[in-house]
Amino acid sequence: MSETKQTDEAPKKDHGVLYIGMDLGTSRTSVSASNGVRETVYSMVGYPKDVVSMKLLKKEVLFGKEALEKRLSLKLYKPLEKGVLKYTGDAAKDAEAKANLKAATDLIGEAIRLAKPRKDELVYCVIGAPAEASVKNREAIIEAARAHVDSVMLCSEPFAVAYGLDWLEDVLVIDIGAGTTDLCRMHGTMPEETDQVMFDIAGDAVDAELSRRITETCPGAQFTIHMVKDIKERYGFVGEPSERCIVELPVDGKPTPFDLTDQIRAACSILIEPILRGIQKLVASFDPQFQAKLKSRVLLAGGGSLVQGLDSAVEKAMKERLGGGKVIRIEEPVYGGANGALKIAHDMPADFWEQLK
Amino acid sequence: MTGFKETLKDAVRQMSFRTSLDSLKKKGVQQVNVLGIDRIIALIEAAVHRSLKSRLVGVEREAVADATKAEFLRLLRSNEDLQRQKTEIERQKEIVEDEVDQLRRDLTAQQRALELKLEEGALATAARYEGENAAIAAKVGEVLRALAATGSPSIVDAEDRVMALVMDIVAGERHSADEARRALHDREVGTLQRRIKKLSESLDQTEQRLQSVAAMKNIDGGISSIYREVQGLSMADHHAGKKKELMAEIFKANLKLQKKA
Repeated sequence: MSETKQTDEAPKKDHGVLYIGMDLGTSRTSVSASNGVRETVYSMVGYPKDVVSMKLLKKEVLFGKEALEKRLSLKLYKPLEKGVLKYTGDAAKDAEAKANLKAATDLIGEAIRLAKPRKDELVYCVIGAPAEASVKNREAIIEAARAHVDSVMLCSEPFAVAYGLDWLEDVLVIDIGAGTTDLCRMHGTMPEETDQVMFDIAGDAVDAELSRRITETCPGAQFTIHMVKDIKERYGFVGEPSERCIVELPVDGKPTPFDLTDQIRAACSILIEPILRGIQKLVASFDPQFQAKLKSRVLLAGGGSLVQGLDSAVEKAMKERLGGGKVIRIEEPVYGGANGALKIAHDMPADFWEQLK
Repeated sequence: MTGFKETLKDAVRQMSFRTSLDSLKKKGVQQVNVLGIDRIIALIEAAVHRSLKSRLVGVEREAVADATKAEFLRLLRSNEDLQRQKTEIERQKEIVEDEVDQLRRDLTAQQRALELKLEEGALATAARYEGENAAIAAKVGEVLRALAATGSPSIVDAEDRVMALVMDIVAGERHSADEARRALHDREVGTLQRRIKKLSESLDQTEQRLQSVAAMKNIDGGISSIYREVQGLSMADHHAGKKKELMAEIFKANLKLQKKA
């Protein structure tokens, strides 16, 4: 009887092995799995504010877009900020830190659930973490993930992007997320601290800049940061616009059209200068013999790379400042990190996974 | 003389009648005295001569005899005429009887034809009104015939009778309809009760299955991975050596992080 009970509680993992690659981002969390599932969810977690909202929502926790839509009834958490968990290390004393850690744990669990694992399969997961995440932060991510998988590893997010594309040597990856922009130089070995540059001018900074510009130039327009984010994701561009960006915003309750073309261009353009500085730093500190090759292999990844014309704008700036360069936007910016992490998980030897169980 | 005898013979023969021995036996006659016709004729002649001889003389007797003969012959002829008339009358009677028979046959045929027409009419009426309509038509017909039988029925009487008939029919139909409706309702209620019973049983079964499925925790709605075994790096990979080193480095970093070194 006890044997049966034991079997019920921990099903035999004899069906196969599911590899999951996860890109745990400030704005979105994406997963790619070896069962063909690819999903992405906004990195937002909401808990009902009170018993009434709990009864109304009929859920204890909501994620992503659903949480965003029902945010008025929820205590909403964005457990990642600037690419790392909002976890300062003393969750026992700090209630807010504890809540964020719980939200992060729930978010990772939700991302793994989205991959639709079978209970009778081994689940091995590689999570792409920000390149400069602290040890405490990494431990927290590992701890959150272990509750849902059999074995887990972390790797540098830009490295995962490059590995997924099989570009392991003399390549510079620019991963533009919501919280941070990570630049990583690959030269055939694991990137070290000196191979990486990270700064917090990324998607969220663009949203803030756009919000500020709208406030300045569109008197009476009412909006939230989530509306601004939607506008950026729909119209975001640098350089010459393909069309005018006419957006309706409420003024005293009445939808009113505004031409936000210039504001959007100006807000998105704030990405270019820091990226160029990062490129210049990593190129300049690279072996001179391979600098030209490195400049000609610049990969643009992450959700921020979806800004139209950004690759051309960076390339143009490189020509002016570095005498030339070639920037390539990867085919699937949103899933680039997750796909790379999945490939790492696949290539990892069995005994490594076993040792980390 | 010979001619007269023959004529007399014929007359005797004609006046006699024929009968069979069986019919005589039936009448109780066991024995008969037989007298030949020639003897009868001779006796008649002798009797006539003896009578005439005793009462008449000479020429007178001869004259009487001739006159008698002549009268006899006239009577005989008269008898023959009567016989012929009788035969003719019998023939005419037969003809008339034949005609009567023919008339009877014609009458029978016409009666049959009439019956056929009546039957056809009845059939046409029945065809016009089928089922319950036929019954109503029959009742209406019955009432109208009864009214017709009274001679000259009054409008009020006819109206009363027809109204009574209509009310009777309508009440009967209404009653039948109510009965049918009640029966249909009962059937529907029965069917619904059976359905409810079946659905309840089905619900019970489904709940039991659901419970058993819920109890089987190993069942998973997830999607199977394409891999049945842990994979690892392919040695055929173009960057196998380099990747192997990278995997080892990632592992070491994670082992250190997870404090299992």
